[in-house]
Amino acid sequence: MVEPGRPWRRHVHWLWLSLMSFTALMLLIAYQTRWVYPEIQAYFSQSGNLTGQQLATRSRDYLQLGLDQLLQAPDEPETRESAHFQIKLAYSLFDIGLYRREYDCTVPSLAAIDDLLLRLEGAAPVAASHLRESLLAPMRCLTRIEMHQLDRRSAITAEFVDKTRRHQGQVLAGSLVIFALGLGFWLMHELQRRRADRSARESLEWMSRALRDPLTGVGNRSALHDDVVAARGRSLGLLLVDIDYFKQYNDSLGHPAGDRLLRRLVELIEFNHGQKASLYRLGGDEFAVLFECQDDQILFHSCRQLVEALRSATIPHPSHPHADHVTFSVGAARFTAGHARFEAGYAAADAALYEVKAQGRDGWRVANLDTSIVAG
Amino acid sequence: MLNLGHKVRFPAPGLLIVGLLLGSTAQANPDTLQLRDGDRDITLSVEALRERADVEFRFYEPYLTEDTEMRGLVFRDLLIEHFGRVPPQLHFQAWDDYDVTLAGWDDPNWILVTHQNGEPISLRDRGPLRLVERDYGNRDPDNLRNFNDWVWMIRSIEAVW
Repeated sequence: MVEPGRPWRRHVHWLWLSLMSFTALMLLIAYQTRWVYPEIQAYFSQSGNLTGQQLATRSRDYLQLGLDQLLQAPDEPETRESAHFQIKLAYSLFDIGLYRREYDCTVPSLAAIDDLLLRLEGAAPVAASHLRESLLAPMRCLTRIEMHQLDRRSAITAEFVDKTRRHQGQVLAGSLVIFALGLGFWLMHELQRRRADRSARESLEWMSRALRDPLTGVGNRSALHDDVVAARGRSLGLLLVDIDYFKQYNDSLGHPAGDRLLRRLVELIEFNHGQKASLYRLGGDEFAVLFECQDDQILFHSCRQLVEALRSATIPHPSHPHADHVTFSVGAARFTAGHARFEAGYAAADAALYEVKAQGRDGWRVANLDTSIVAG
Repeated sequence: MLNLGHKVRFPAPGLLIVGLLLGSTAQANPDTLQLRDGDRDITLSVEALRERADVEFRFYEPYLTEDTEMRGLVFRDLLIEHFGRVPPQLHFQAWDDYDVTLAGWDDPNWILVTHQNGEPISLRDRGPLRLVERDYGNRDPDNLRNFNDWVWMIRSIEAVW
């Protein structure tokens, strides 16, 4: 089960499954090439090992050699000794448990060869009848064994080929299934990853929207708070800007015109402060401007510049009681970013703003947190 | 054990016949074992090896298809004694002209057998010296191709470095 808050785990599982599938495929291929094929070589090679050539064939060859020697000079001691050696080799290659068990001619043949060996060890003559019984009969037996073993080997080979073909088919099918699984798991991983990315993007977008004012596109009160917290320890200037007689403006020109005035104000402030400052709409017609401010002189300068810029815009206000254009009131304070200092800075700027309003609006005040106030 | 890369040469039948008619094998002496290490030749008496045989065990002999008592020497020890260390490969020649080069002898499981059921083995019993694996694990003894590395009737052993 996927733990809440850790959606990445789900697609990591798919990735693991995919990697495991491809690893299993590699192992299967390695097994086939590294272990199975040498086994085939060991079992079916006709040379290069002890039983590559049939023992019966080798035994028969030595019996033939012995027979050849004895037919040429059966009474010569050296020939008899050499033939004795060949026939002993033939006996040793013939005396195999498998042959004894499966071919009834083996035991009598070995006994007949033993008789001839005894005869050759002594001085007894070797007649044609002895050769027929002790060599030709065993050779016939060995030929029978050879033929039968060849038939058996052919049958085993055919069976092996058939089995190998089936096995290869199964391995191929298995490989394809594993490959398809690996691919499927990887696709699932990719889908999950894309879904998670999309979800993260949407969350970020929603979070961003939650911090912005939909009408003007600037930050809202929460964004102001977050930015102050993020700038902890830095010296900041805060300007609170209020449109004088905004209600009257709305009443006379309508709310759409009021909305346009708010957006125009945003443009003016942004133009005046540029990229160095952040702008927030705190509600209604009240705006805040936040910027890095190392000393009060900069703050005075900012206030003065802003109010003059707004005045020079001369936006018409038909229901203003004291002027024919829109006027603004600005309260300002400088503080060190941090939760408690922000509360104090905000309260001081707000107090300065209300002082401007109380003294007839269309002006600015800078509140010093040490209570002295500079106005213009 | 698989026998990859092993080399076997069976002499052409014509050459074999000529050689045999000249009496090379008939005059040979199966009572000795020849060891060769480069230019150095060592001749060991089979009888001496039989006397030194100190390893006894009983196992199912796949070529005889019956339980058999074996006696012999640990082959690795013999190689170290005469070659200084175990050569990476050995070239064997057998009395039946079987000829093979095999690797993997640094293993005490290989026994140079001199006796079978209490009796010294001779050419007639695939002797006088035979190499077998004392423990062949779970290989099927009914399939003789599982025992292709066994060497019978050993005549000479040459170190291949």
